[in-house]
Amino acid sequence: MNWTRQHPGWAMFAAMIGLLLFLWGMALPLAAAPAPIGPAAEQFADGARITVGLTLIAGSAGVLIGVLAGLGKLSNFWPLRWFCDSYVWLIRGTPLLLQILFVWLALPTIMPAGVELSDFTCAAIALSLNIGAYNTECVRAGILAVPHGQVEAARALGLTPVQTFIDVILPQSMRVALPALANNLASLVKDSSLAYAISVVELTMVGYRVQAESYQPIPVFVTIAAIYLILTTAFTTLTAALEAQLDVGQKR
Amino acid sequence: MSSEAIPRPIIETRGIGKRFGSFHALKDVSATFHEGQVTAIVGPSGSGKSTFLRTLNRLEAHDSGEIVIDGIVLSDDIRNLNAIRREVGMVFQSFNLFSHLTILRNLTLAPMRVRRMARAAAEEKAMNLLERVGLKTQAGKYPVQLSGGQQQRVAIARALAMDPKVLLFDEPTSALDPEMVNEVLAVMRELAYSGITMLVVTHEMGFAREVADRVIFFDEGVILEDTTPESFFSNPGHERARAFLSQVRHGY
Ligand SMILES: Nc1ncnc2c1ncn2[C@@H]1O[C@H](COP(=O)(O)OP(=O)(O)OP(=O)(O)O)[C@@H](O)[C@H]1O
Ligand SMILES: [Mg+2]
Repeated sequence: MNWTRQHPGWAMFAAMIGLLLFLWGMALPLAAAPAPIGPAAEQFADGARITVGLTLIAGSAGVLIGVLAGLGKLSNFWPLRWFCDSYVWLIRGTPLLLQILFVWLALPTIMPAGVELSDFTCAAIALSLNIGAYNTECVRAGILAVPHGQVEAARALGLTPVQTFIDVILPQSMRVALPALANNLASLVKDSSLAYAISVVELTMVGYRVQAESYQPIPVFVTIAAIYLILTTAFTTLTAALEAQLDVGQKR
Repeated sequence: MSSEAIPRPIIETRGIGKRFGSFHALKDVSATFHEGQVTAIVGPSGSGKSTFLRTLNRLEAHDSGEIVIDGIVLSDDIRNLNAIRREVGMVFQSFNLFSHLTILRNLTLAPMRVRRMARAAAEEKAMNLLERVGLKTQAGKYPVQLSGGQQQRVAIARALAMDPKVLLFDEPTSALDPEMVNEVLAVMRELAYSGITMLVVTHEMGFAREVADRVIFFDEGVILEDTTPESFFSNPGHERARAFLSQVRHGY
């Protein structure tokens, strides 16, 4: 990871290109593999794309939720603080699988008529809410780590509270929060597999189906595991590079 | 009354009081500061010097009395507050440079956000100011890459970038290694002669004596002496001031 630290820009670029090439190119080499892998190559590639799609959507929404709820937890306004505390408590104290099932089964009953939620959408919502709760704690810790003098300097220069937050507090807290946020994202790649329970055809579901048809679980699940490993490695490289990029002001 | 003969009052405080819980940090402090005047504020530790300075740009809110800055009454009204913070610059003991931004961006942030200056104009101005404090070659570095003395000179330039009418200094050299004190004092001396209004909380008695037009001695939250440097250093009126001076001289 030394190279990642020294050339964060290139590492991010390489990880992103690598991820794209992998997602859209993996079907080619896989197709050359013997049965049961070869004939299902396209299915594996589709599953991997769904898994990455879920991860990126829930990951981004989760960062947004984490920042908003992290701020809310530090608010002077107690109802907001109470709401954010309860949200984190609720999500962290219940299983992800239950949350996914809840969104899938309960949310449609309270949605206005005519609004259809796809299985994928339900999974994305549940995963966003879940990672958002874990991110909240990281963001909160990051904000608390920003020295008060930074805020005073910004305020003394005439920056408004919102400008102070966006230009000073947020970038500095991200530097502290990023390793933990990156960890959560890497978990999300794997946690998204629980979406199989509500019939989202992501990577794990593909593996389950292919082995059910071929009665050869070992090669199928080894392939699935290898794909997950490549995905988590790509995401870890991406976030490590981002970390190094944000770290510039810290090292001599 | 001709405005040429009598300098314009730029800061007026009338009977301001400030409590921290049961502790009375400022008691009925009244003083008027005129345009172009350089005031040294001295006094023992805990006497309320910083608190006084910080009420002037409302980093601390005063509990009683009135503060008028350039004709604007300091209150919680956010528009007044922003107007005042644009006119009053502050230099902190611990520099408080934005650690995630380059030196150049430290100087351009507030002019661009608060004064809505275009980037090119803000950068040109920043480079001129960096030249003035002798740090033009450091523009692309980050604060951690600079020595304490250099950081404090950047902090002064950052405050100047907003074209303040008044500059507040809270012990600007107290956090510096002795060999770096002079480079900062030299910049402050040059500023003082350029005609900007300055209020300087300092333990540098030599600087106060040489550069200040006026010395204010704080003790236990009140102004005990408000006089010229000559009179304060040669013939202090109060026993507490004499004790303070002899203690300071002993320390040197
Ligand atoms: N935020 C605060 N909460 C509680 N007490 C405070 C706070 N800020 C200052 N004080 C107290 O108010 C008194 C005056 O503090 P202040 O910082 O103004 O002193 P000072 O004259 O600047 O001293 P020094 O030379 O040590 O900087 C001190 O006794 C300090 O403990
Ligand atoms: Mg002080």
